[in-house]
Amino acid sequence: MRLMADFPWVLWLLPLALLPLAASSQRVTPLSSIAASPVDGLSRLIGWSLRAAGILAIGGLVVALSGPYRQGETITRTGIGAQVSILVDRSGSMNETFAGMQPSGAEESKAAASRRLLGEFVGSRAHDQFAVSAFSTAPMLVVPMTDRHEAVRAAIAAIDRPGLDYTNVARGLGMALSQFGASTANVSRALLIVSDGAAVIDPRVQGTLRAEFARLRPNLYWLFLRTKGSPSISDRPSGEDTPQAAPERHLDLFFKSLGIPYRAFEAEGAEAVADAIGQIERLERDPIPYIEQRPRRDLAGWAYGISLLGLILLVAAKLAEADLSLRRPVVSASAAPAPQPQRLAA
Amino acid sequence: MSAPGLVRRNLRDRRFQLLAAALALVALTFVARPLPLTRNGVEILAVLDITGSMNVRDYVGADGKPQSRLETAKAALRELVTSLPCGSRVALGLFTERRPFLLFTPIEVCADFAPLDGALDALDWRMAWEGDSRISAGLFRSVEMAASLGTDLVFITDGHEAPPLPSTGGPAFDGKPGAVRGLIVGAGAYALSPIPRYNDRGRETGFYGSGDVQQENRFGPPPADAESREGYNPRNAPFGAAAASGTEHLSSVREPYLKTLAQATGLTYAHLDGPAGVGPALVRAATPRPLPGSLDLRPVFGGIALALILAVFAAPLFGAGRFVLVKKV
Repeated sequence: MRLMADFPWVLWLLPLALLPLAASSQRVTPLSSIAASPVDGLSRLIGWSLRAAGILAIGGLVVALSGPYRQGETITRTGIGAQVSILVDRSGSMNETFAGMQPSGAEESKAAASRRLLGEFVGSRAHDQFAVSAFSTAPMLVVPMTDRHEAVRAAIAAIDRPGLDYTNVARGLGMALSQFGASTANVSRALLIVSDGAAVIDPRVQGTLRAEFARLRPNLYWLFLRTKGSPSISDRPSGEDTPQAAPERHLDLFFKSLGIPYRAFEAEGAEAVADAIGQIERLERDPIPYIEQRPRRDLAGWAYGISLLGLILLVAAKLAEADLSLRRPVVSASAAPAPQPQRLAA
Repeated sequence: MSAPGLVRRNLRDRRFQLLAAALALVALTFVARPLPLTRNGVEILAVLDITGSMNVRDYVGADGKPQSRLETAKAALRELVTSLPCGSRVALGLFTERRPFLLFTPIEVCADFAPLDGALDALDWRMAWEGDSRISAGLFRSVEMAASLGTDLVFITDGHEAPPLPSTGGPAFDGKPGAVRGLIVGAGAYALSPIPRYNDRGRETGFYGSGDVQQENRFGPPPADAESREGYNPRNAPFGAAAASGTEHLSSVREPYLKTLAQATGLTYAHLDGPAGVGPALVRAATPRPLPGSLDLRPVFGGIALALILAVFAAPLFGAGRFVLVKKV
């Protein structure tokens, strides 16, 4: 528990709370000789409690004005979820329909379908963490790994904007992997690739990617938005079977050779995409530590309360003041004791 | 004197009245509700130029070392995001080639600060998908994008067109000037500086030389003064025979050009002097968006109460208490 203040400089006024030690709020009564009255315990007690009341009234107000609060806490708990790094293809062809046409009327482009369905996926479970990267020619970090689902949905809302040029999946994969971070060891990680095509992964980069996949061991999901009539992941090309001739098939082979849990979903329509996302959601059910924020607590009320207590005492004492000088006929030691604490202010 | 008489006399005491007023004020802090009021927030689309000329190091960083325009612009955006009142929303886009690329739609600057800050921190020139830098085209499409998002625009660029504009000038703005409000922020110093050059692995390899870039745009019709150039031939050498020379391989902030663009689009121009300063300029230029806020009245009551109590206690030190007493008696 940590105590903080909004305006700590106000606390420099705290020495003012010592003012009641130097001066009293009570009326000063002239008395011929203070020695004439006997030492009286009750009067002494009242005198000190009035000073204390003054200190409380001033000190409480100064503390209250500084805006004290107890700092919010972050508590790590365990929930069900996963760290999901989403890698989205933003190449131009994503803006076509599953039939490979420009969308018209009620038709939905591949990007719009994945936007809608991924948006539902994000936030369906409270403790998932997401990162979003995009790639076309170059990889782009959109949102780093976060549990703020609003921000992730804002990133996903942008994916059906006009896309860019080409599909360069290798660098995108590198960036999506870098989002996991090294610290969390026993967290279930998932890498979700949403693309409608593939490209040749440069053999020079393949080694680096393999090493990264082996180190992080994410569950790999490839949501392949296949355009109707285009080759499937499993289709062998009729001619030469090279990565250039069938990039999708060879990307699939590359993923399979990584030795990590891998599933490819070939979706030829929005329903198939929804189905695939549902499957991923069911598969990723592992405990995940998440951080819960306890909000900060305002303590100004307590400080005002303390000040109020002191003030009530002071006001009561002012109301109970009796002035000896007005009671000339009965000036005697026996009449003095109770309600005249000021007598002690010697 | 009887007890009620004493009380009545006490009630007339000035210092009692002050203390009672302080008590009433402090008691008020427990019942006073925060005053609801509206504050002005903003909703912006921030588009950052990440083309090559933004790598020019003509700013001085916090550590005294040269800092690139891009790093300074990122610092300015982070500064801006922290200075905006909670409830303001920021969308982020990149600009290169001839179009903006939207990273995310507007997100709230306080609750979602961590991902927003992380995204700003990760901005890099390596995200660029092409090398061209057609500022006017990018700006006009950013204005369209801001309109489609319903936000204002903050477009940070150095105004360095690559390739250079043809003699006929750039494309014209066909939107409605002033329909989208906001800022064009000119990044860069006023003096020319060399532009760093990077190889295909992203490592810096020196600076651009005068022969590495297009110095004159020779697409389209030749300029009016072409006939007076040496070696001019209408068919074979319409731009003259000499190779174009110029300072396109060096970069400074193209302020007059950006001001023209600002005028054409109805935006406000501001120069980026450092990481701070975009906030106030934006607040002047942007559409104010009312945000619900509240004003805590307790410090007002508490402050007055404190002043009253201090007056009560300090009065005898200055003899005022005695004066009151003598007067009353």
